[in-house]
Amino acid sequence: MGLRNASEDLSSEMEVDAFRRLFPLRYLERHLAESIRPDGRPLVKARETSIFLGAVASANGSALVKIGSTTMLTAIKMEVMTPSLESPDEGCLAIDFHMPPICSPIVRPGRPAEASPVVSKQLSDTISSSKMIDLKELSLVSGKAAWMAYLDIYCLDADGALFDAALLSAVAALSHLQIPAVAVNDDGKIVLVSDEDGQKQAQEPVNKEKRKLTLRSIPFSLTCILHKNYILADPTAEEESIMETHVTIVLDTSGQLISLYKPGGSVLAYTSAVQDCVALTRQRVKELKSFLDKENSAMEIE
Amino acid sequence: MAGKSGATPATYSPSLTTSDKKKKPPLFNEDWVRPDGRAFQQCRPAFFRTGAVNAASGSAYAEFGNTKVIVSVFGPRESKKAMMYSDIGRLNCNVSFTTFATPVRGQGSDHKEYSAMLHKALEGAIILETFPKTTVDVFALVLESSGSELPVIISCASLALADAGIMMYDLVASVSVSCFSKNLVIDPISEEENNQDGSLMITCMPSRYEITQLTVTGEWSTPKINEGMQLCLDACGKLAKIMRSCLKEAASDSQE
Amino acid sequence: MEYSSDGRIKRGNHAAKMYIIIIIKCLKTLAFTGMVGLSLGERHFIQGGIAQDLRSDGRKRLTYRPLSVETGVIPQVNGSARVRIGATDVIASVKAELGKPSLLQPDKGKVSLYMDCSSTADPAFEGRGGEELAAELSNALQNCLLGGKSGAGAGIDLSSLIVVEGKICWNLYIDGLVVSSDGNLLDALGAAIKAALSNTGIPRVQVAAGTLNDEHPEVDVCDDEFLQFDTSGVPVIVTLTKVGRHYIVDATSEEESQMSSAVSISFNRQGHICGITKRGGVGLDPSILLDMISVAKHVSEQVLNKLDSEIASAEAEEES
Repeated sequence: MGLRNASEDLSSEMEVDAFRRLFPLRYLERHLAESIRPDGRPLVKARETSIFLGAVASANGSALVKIGSTTMLTAIKMEVMTPSLESPDEGCLAIDFHMPPICSPIVRPGRPAEASPVVSKQLSDTISSSKMIDLKELSLVSGKAAWMAYLDIYCLDADGALFDAALLSAVAALSHLQIPAVAVNDDGKIVLVSDEDGQKQAQEPVNKEKRKLTLRSIPFSLTCILHKNYILADPTAEEESIMETHVTIVLDTSGQLISLYKPGGSVLAYTSAVQDCVALTRQRVKELKSFLDKENSAMEIE
Repeated sequence: MAGKSGATPATYSPSLTTSDKKKKPPLFNEDWVRPDGRAFQQCRPAFFRTGAVNAASGSAYAEFGNTKVIVSVFGPRESKKAMMYSDIGRLNCNVSFTTFATPVRGQGSDHKEYSAMLHKALEGAIILETFPKTTVDVFALVLESSGSELPVIISCASLALADAGIMMYDLVASVSVSCFSKNLVIDPISEEENNQDGSLMITCMPSRYEITQLTVTGEWSTPKINEGMQLCLDACGKLAKIMRSCLKEAASDSQE
Repeated sequence: MEYSSDGRIKRGNHAAKMYIIIIIKCLKTLAFTGMVGLSLGERHFIQGGIAQDLRSDGRKRLTYRPLSVETGVIPQVNGSARVRIGATDVIASVKAELGKPSLLQPDKGKVSLYMDCSSTADPAFEGRGGEELAAELSNALQNCLLGGKSGAGAGIDLSSLIVVEGKICWNLYIDGLVVSSDGNLLDALGAAIKAALSNTGIPRVQVAAGTLNDEHPEVDVCDDEFLQFDTSGVPVIVTLTKVGRHYIVDATSEEESQMSSAVSISFNRQGHICGITKRGGVGLDPSILLDMISVAKHVSEQVLNKLDSEIASAEAEEES
């Protein structure tokens, strides 16, 4: 590490860990000067990412996503509702992002974390504006019944880049979603059609063809931290706490920009920096898409 | 895309109408088989792993069949400002469920009763004198529940406390049995819990052979209580072995 | 310059004032929590007395304080009772309302228990302290009185609360209030609920002819004909409090402050256990626990007899 060579100040007499706690910014800047991050990554490299589909057996669709230590568990539960009068042939997707107290020392029970409503809103905005799913596909009987998809994302371990991980787990769960076959019973209520008594043709499933959503374009994102002239991709919680300017870019698979968040921060970004971020995101999208495709094809083989 | 579920009309999850009626299991039959095919006195396979959450001082993940729980331990850290000075440490417990933990989508809120029970089960095992003026927070999240959540949470929490390096007299293991007329069924799943005549849950420190918590519901005769307690205590002993081997494994991994 | 120094002094005064207030607050709480209120000598006196089977109020280890029951204390509910054990004073009330049975158990009525620890009983009950204790008591009573999920072993026969299966049932709301607290709240509340239930009259209900098969059948509630509740199955709760190596029944709050753990066991007439809850963090050896169960069983018979005769005489008094 670069610290060993430093002889002129305190750090030589101090343990690395103490220096890290006392002078976090200087600790980090030393690393940046050597073009390396405290966890040994190059500046623009994202952490190791893994996707596991079908993590929650009781849900209709679910995914567990890990980006470094940041862990997200998403489950989708399908329920039936009466569609609103304005859109009689559309279903609904309700996205909720939860940060339970287990995920981070900052979150205490009874007090929701500050970040969770922000991420919730960002996620629903992103997914709705990406036109990823057609809500008409969630319709069952026009004006009478439609699916209400409850998509709940739980952060199990918060170590930075929460939005990226949450979005990835949300789209992964949507790609894993299996809509149950249902029929209308005599009372006009929607009931499940079990696979076992398939010979009972008295109840014809109303959604025979629509068992899987067609995902038209999948949004992926990358969060970068801007600090001086450095760009750090996929920050950890420690890096996020030291440097507060971050840019989140969401692109879809065809490379179109869906959204770009730069919520303030002390660093004013030049357009060239933003362009660099977009380029990084483009690479990351390709990587994430191949991860997701691989998982989905593995599921199909099973 | 309505994020507000309050504004949306009431929803329901579609149920199986055809098989609802015939599903009532003939629980009192002598030749009754448990829904998951286990023997009456056979626990579900238990899986433990420490270090599930990096952000916490200590954590553990436990899986008993489809009951999946994560427990994080934070601290010892500064007590809340409003708290008075205390020369022994404080223990703060919280249990919550995910919205998708139960078959019917829930609210995912805190479970006060379980939080209090978890606190009572653990406080006797932790050497609170070792962290005066501070608080240890034990937070549990039930990812999926399919019966016997509380015993799993308690066992998992003691493992998380050990992982966090909190001083304890012993590990805490917990097991419950359900009573169906004459039969005792260990480690019940939700379906069994919903039809049980009575239940007995024991939390104990196996090496010290001490019971820290005991809850009994339903009608029991004294010999039956004896039988149930013995069954639970034996199972706790075995469970503690699994937990201990999990800790040893984690320790040897970190040494390498 | 002057201005700034002035401000500093003011701030300093303020801080000092805050500090004094905090100290006073601390002292107040210290004085009020019973546990700290006892001196070392007092503690030794209590513990020594228990060890020698002569407690500070002259009782033996397994003797209850005098118990008195008064029924029908609240006129606007279906049943109520007030139980005093020594200085502990609790009131329980039962209110019955017509409602709809749950989908899972269409052949049973519902019972909900709610306990309240009034802050007039003990300053420690103010705010969250009382809430937590109340929740703990409610849970313990629920365990002891309502039996298993299938309804077996329940003190209250829930299927007797049904009016029309799947459509109408009685919902019982059992409320308990701690008026004055001097230990052994759980036993007192259990006794009060038993007395209140035997005092409860549920109005006779007639389903209007022809509407039986409707979604909402019409019912007539008679105001002058009441069904008595069968309370013979309602268990009594006996709490054994462990102080040192011995355990005692019916501990006062002074004695409770010295406890290492307490086990509350409820027994019905047949001598069957209907529920157990344990308080206090200190662990217990299983053999001691079994010993406690058998002692509690023995004690419970006496308590049941005493309580039944007290309830009977209270009822007789109320009628006369």
